[in-house]
Amino acid sequence: MRFRLRDIGAICATVAALAVAHAGAQDLPSLSQDPKQWPMAPRDYANTRYSPLEQINRANVGDLRVAWTFSLGTNKGQEAAPIIVNGTMYVVSSYPNNVYALDATSGELKWTYKPNTDPSSQGVACCDVVNRGLAYDNGKIFLNTLDVHTVALDAATGKELWVTQLGDIGKGETLTMAPLVVKGKVLVGNSGAEFGIRGWLAALDENTGKIAWRAYSTGPDKDVLIGDDFQPFYDRYKEKDLGVSTWPPDQWKIGGGSVWGWLQYDPELDLVYYGSANPSPWNATVRPGDNLWTDTLFARKPDTGHARWADQLNPHDTFDHDEINESLLLDLDIGGTPRKTLVHVGRDGFIWVIDRATGEVLSADAFDTMNVYKGVDLKTGQVIPNEEKAPVAGKTIREICPPAPGAKDWQPSAWSPRTKLIYVPHQHLCMDWKIGDVGYIAGSPYVGATADMYAGEGGYRGAFMAWDPVKKQKAWEIRENLPVWSGALVTGGDVAFYGTLDRWFKAVDAQTGSVLWKFRTGSGIVGQPVTYQGSDGTQYVAILAGIGGWPGAIANAELDPRVRTAAAGMVGATQDLPTYSAAGGELFVFALPPPQSRAANPSEGDHAR
Amino acid sequence: MRAERSFLLVAIILAALPGLASAQSRQGPASKGAPTQYSATASELLQVPVTGIPAGGPAEDVPDIKNPFAGDPGAAERGMKHFRAFNCVGCHGDNGGGGMGPALSDKKWIYRSTPANIFLSIYQGRPNGMPAWGGMLPENVIWELVSYIQSISSAPDSDTFGTTISRNPQSPQKEQVPATELETAKPWDHLQPFHNGQKP
Repeated sequence: MRFRLRDIGAICATVAALAVAHAGAQDLPSLSQDPKQWPMAPRDYANTRYSPLEQINRANVGDLRVAWTFSLGTNKGQEAAPIIVNGTMYVVSSYPNNVYALDATSGELKWTYKPNTDPSSQGVACCDVVNRGLAYDNGKIFLNTLDVHTVALDAATGKELWVTQLGDIGKGETLTMAPLVVKGKVLVGNSGAEFGIRGWLAALDENTGKIAWRAYSTGPDKDVLIGDDFQPFYDRYKEKDLGVSTWPPDQWKIGGGSVWGWLQYDPELDLVYYGSANPSPWNATVRPGDNLWTDTLFARKPDTGHARWADQLNPHDTFDHDEINESLLLDLDIGGTPRKTLVHVGRDGFIWVIDRATGEVLSADAFDTMNVYKGVDLKTGQVIPNEEKAPVAGKTIREICPPAPGAKDWQPSAWSPRTKLIYVPHQHLCMDWKIGDVGYIAGSPYVGATADMYAGEGGYRGAFMAWDPVKKQKAWEIRENLPVWSGALVTGGDVAFYGTLDRWFKAVDAQTGSVLWKFRTGSGIVGQPVTYQGSDGTQYVAILAGIGGWPGAIANAELDPRVRTAAAGMVGATQDLPTYSAAGGELFVFALPPPQSRAANPSEGDHAR
Repeated sequence: MRAERSFLLVAIILAALPGLASAQSRQGPASKGAPTQYSATASELLQVPVTGIPAGGPAEDVPDIKNPFAGDPGAAERGMKHFRAFNCVGCHGDNGGGGMGPALSDKKWIYRSTPANIFLSIYQGRPNGMPAWGGMLPENVIWELVSYIQSISSAPDSDTFGTTISRNPQSPQKEQVPATELETAKPWDHLQPFHNGQKP
């Protein structure tokens, strides 16, 4: 092939343009290094939810007061993290997923975007019509709508740039997770494992919305994006097409394994990490086999989607123990050796410490009451089920701990590099469980189990815990009457924040767990606290209030507290919640008063156990 | 003009409900003792309002549509089996306590409470997430579901206008014996003290 001079000129111009576009596409990693910003739901790719800001600290947090508020206009569960980029806060509401851009300092409303979300999608959202947050990169905001659309907006104006429909509510698919942008790709996963959907993670070009790749959680290797570059730590994953052969014929097509939780990314290893959800249906007797690749941690190359390693933590899941929970990417000293780890705070009740380069399970320790698993076999990297608790068709198995929502659900933890502790919001529940016949009907739930949940041992139903991942033990915990369903935040001021279903937003001493400050919000809290610095140099803390999610539906929807099995059994455990909170979505933003009016001493607070 | 418009409306709805006009001969395999002739015709069902506001005042000749299985003691039991088999239970919960879909155990009705209203909600679906089952389920199955829903919605406090929720004094004071313990089409006949989230 021969080039003419003007072709070479054109090629040079193209290369130059690409270089400029590429440079512009990478503002997200640098934003997450800037303490003033909170540019993605977990603040950074390592999912730490740690902000170095220290204006608010243990000594003065007792003076925290409301700076401004904003009504979200919807009354379902508000699970989203606000994100803050260059002085603007972006917030998404529960269905229909309206987006608001606000001046992060003054609260002035800059623009609103209202997607035309299909109301029918509300009927196929398993656990309230929530949304866990927006994403940002390169001047664009990325929104997932409940009816399976991903939308790109101009961050400055709110103008719609592209829309991609990724799935079908008629099959029970929805989107509830916060996307993560990695190397110019918007990563989005589906919800719907209670409807017999087939789980996937998709990568969309951030400029066009075009699907670059889609990795399924079940089916043949070509669909799961398992290729020659797959290097699992455990040999049992080296057989071909395990996503087909570990199921009864064709059951993998309706096998669940949705990707509705947290994504994380290690730029050095260039690997994206996430966990897949439960297999469908909950009644495990209709799907003999390991049911790969459900309840599985994946490490994938973001450019191609190809899996590097995978480990199925709970083979043949019998209790809806999804593994979509967050993984914190931490460099820890394990037995005197520095290791690049992934600390996965599992729904199964274990804190898994895994080598994130190889997928080797280093340790797994129970952090709450545990009787359905005898522990984790470190040779196989999988849980050891307690056969005494194995479900039997038509028979009620009692005292299953942790229950279907696990010892911790989606509500994300935080990590402080200062205290070297992980702050874990979680529930403390058990259940009775009875499985029964179930048939697949597209667009209807595919479950086949009846649950009745209740408070675990000691009568309390939730806790906010600090965990030392090196010592593999609890540093302290604050017990709560109700499940703790909010995310956690920890700061350079050594203050950790979380919210409760009974309408308290709390600040605690990150070292001791003493409650230093609390504020009574309008509705219960299931959101994710964040902090940032405004254009006035002031540190702000923001949280969405608005009861909902799986435990909160009893307080925001037409559910009957007298029927314990309502909301897939969660109502048994939260039937009294309507005596603490009513529905209502509202953003609260807090700051310290100007220095001269601050009190000298922090207020007295509750004490940790 | 007015007559023309209502004729058009009937035509459109009949076209949208192909099963309704022809379903009278359809029999569900799971159903026993189903009457061969249903009491309501498609045009009668069209007159059932889904609102409490009849424009121009109450109509005089709204047909009183009865559940053809009213008085059949086995209908609610059969409806309970359908409720499981067709995954109604996945959204509305065991004993209809609610979940993704609203509770059917209490006296609150979004789309109204007559047997014909309940039939139509199942048949047509509803816009905020209720699937349309008319294309899948025979009419007799839907009527048996109506029987079951009428049975589970007969809550003991049905004689009060509203509902009081309070920790002290405690209200409600009773809860159902849960479906993990007892399978019954009459769950309101089996009560225990309210447990406030604690183990029963």
